[in-house]
Amino acid sequence: MNLRKLCCIAASIGLLQSCIKDAPQNPEADITAFTVPKDQLTGDVFIDQTKRQVRLYLTDTAFKRGIVPTISVSNGAKVFPAPGDTLRFDSTGMGITGYTITPATGGQGKTYTVRVVGTGNWKFGFERWDTVSAEGASWKYVNPLADDGRNVWASGNIGIAITGVTEINDFPLHISNDAHDGKYAAIMETKPGNALSGWMGIHLFAGSLFMGNFVTDYLLENPLKCTQFGQPYRGMPSRFTGYYKYQPGATFQDKDGKPVPGTTDECSIYAVLYSGTSRLDATNILTSNRVVATAILTDGTAKADWTHFDIPFQNLSGKVVNLNEPVMLAIIASSSKDGDHYRGAVGSKLVLDNIEIVNE
Amino acid sequence: MLMAATQLFAQDNGQAQTNEFKPMLEHRILAGFNFGATAPVGLPNTIRKINGFWPEFSPSLGYELSYRATKKWGASVAVKLDYKGMGTKDEVQYFPTIITTSDGGRFEGDFTGKNQTTVRNAYVSFPISAVFTANDKWRFNLGGYVAWLFSSNFYGTVSDGYIRNGGSLGEKIIITEATFDFGTEVRSFDCGLQGGAAYRVGKRLSIDGNLNWGLRPIFPSDFKGMSFPMYNIYLTLGVTYKI
Repeated sequence: MNLRKLCCIAASIGLLQSCIKDAPQNPEADITAFTVPKDQLTGDVFIDQTKRQVRLYLTDTAFKRGIVPTISVSNGAKVFPAPGDTLRFDSTGMGITGYTITPATGGQGKTYTVRVVGTGNWKFGFERWDTVSAEGASWKYVNPLADDGRNVWASGNIGIAITGVTEINDFPLHISNDAHDGKYAAIMETKPGNALSGWMGIHLFAGSLFMGNFVTDYLLENPLKCTQFGQPYRGMPSRFTGYYKYQPGATFQDKDGKPVPGTTDECSIYAVLYSGTSRLDATNILTSNRVVATAILTDGTAKADWTHFDIPFQNLSGKVVNLNEPVMLAIIASSSKDGDHYRGAVGSKLVLDNIEIVNE
Repeated sequence: MLMAATQLFAQDNGQAQTNEFKPMLEHRILAGFNFGATAPVGLPNTIRKINGFWPEFSPSLGYELSYRATKKWGASVAVKLDYKGMGTKDEVQYFPTIITTSDGGRFEGDFTGKNQTTVRNAYVSFPISAVFTANDKWRFNLGGYVAWLFSSNFYGTVSDGYIRNGGSLGEKIIITEATFDFGTEVRSFDCGLQGGAAYRVGKRLSIDGNLNWGLRPIFPSDFKGMSFPMYNIYLTLGVTYKI
């Protein structure tokens, strides 16, 4: 009888196996890699899967002559136009402005636009903002653009959207109508976590704004690697200047969300110059041996009125900029300076306006 | 129906009976283990591979009262404490899931990777059967059951894969390992069909096999953590002892 039981169980497992159906076709339509020879780049190519945008950081020569990228897509998906043609950015022709990826299932795909992000000027008034959403998504958040419309800024907002936050002003980074100059400024506000982020052990979302890009890939694994800091820079920066206001939240809390009496939250504002073309992230932005110079605001305490800062870049000992080598510069601001470790006070508000990197 | 059948049978066999038969009540203790699965009927194509399957410790203990109306036909009702559980390891591709949280949060995405799930739900169940006693050795029953949940577990891990926010065109998030727990979502009421056979091996002891096939998905229809309905399909193997 026991043998019979075993046979029964074995047979039912066998039945389950035989029920496995044919593999579904791949419904994904990603550009998984967009490769350009390294000597034509001033910064690593970034594929923004939310905005469906390929951002290129090109040398002057590459910009003038055009590039021939190698494009990898999701298994079984098709690219249009076929890669292999030269992408031209000069004023002479229309050229290719994007790629449409059709998934193996043949259904709805994605169209990626290609954008060249120039180094431009390094004065930011936070007057232009972009509203970011996705087809069919219930969330919507804002992100500042450079004064000339370049996509150089990023924040943790997309990560927070994934945990279920939907309304523009519920995101830690949004628009402030209280501006030092012009109509708008950027406001970062530390927000409480939610049930979904709690599953990941995150009980606080610090407001952040940084120069660079945000990748979602490591959101669960290691969120600090999601923040890809920095944009290509030319020359040697001398000073980091701007205006800010800061109001710490009432109760400082630790990583587990428990109040820590006697501690007051502080903001952080700093800029880092480092060598190379690949981006540093929150795990190594201040510790990497590629860091050349930093400009760090030392006073992160409350400031009720607009306060001016003017911080000289200080070279790390023994580090100098080799003008022939590519360098990148990152500006990073947060309403809770330990926000990267999920410590801070809910309600801490940092307003930032008219910031500038003054070149030598 | 049952009554009519019973009467018909009684008439047919009335003449053939050698001994005089008196209708009687019978009492039995039922004990056994449940083997089976809480699973979809027909696997969806998003499930690519089953790497492991094992029964959880799922005892079943109960008491059955039966009324033997004729020598061959009768009816029974029982009350049972039924644990129904299993574990499975599988691999999925583009598996849609929607997770809602108590604070109104919602995450929707397609997962590709490995999954391990453990199910162990405890029910108080009430099977009702028509009973056919074929001979001195064999006894068959067929009917239905209703069951109320009093403890639920439905949890597991997802690993070695990624989830795409909002669907297969959304942002990719790598998952090395994450846990899930849908225990509180399991429906408190289950019902279905059941039937089986018992073979007498001693004076009062029989070996018993009974298949319980749930007809109500174990999750409510507004729960989207699993994109397909899952049913309790379990075989109780054990003994019955006539008291």
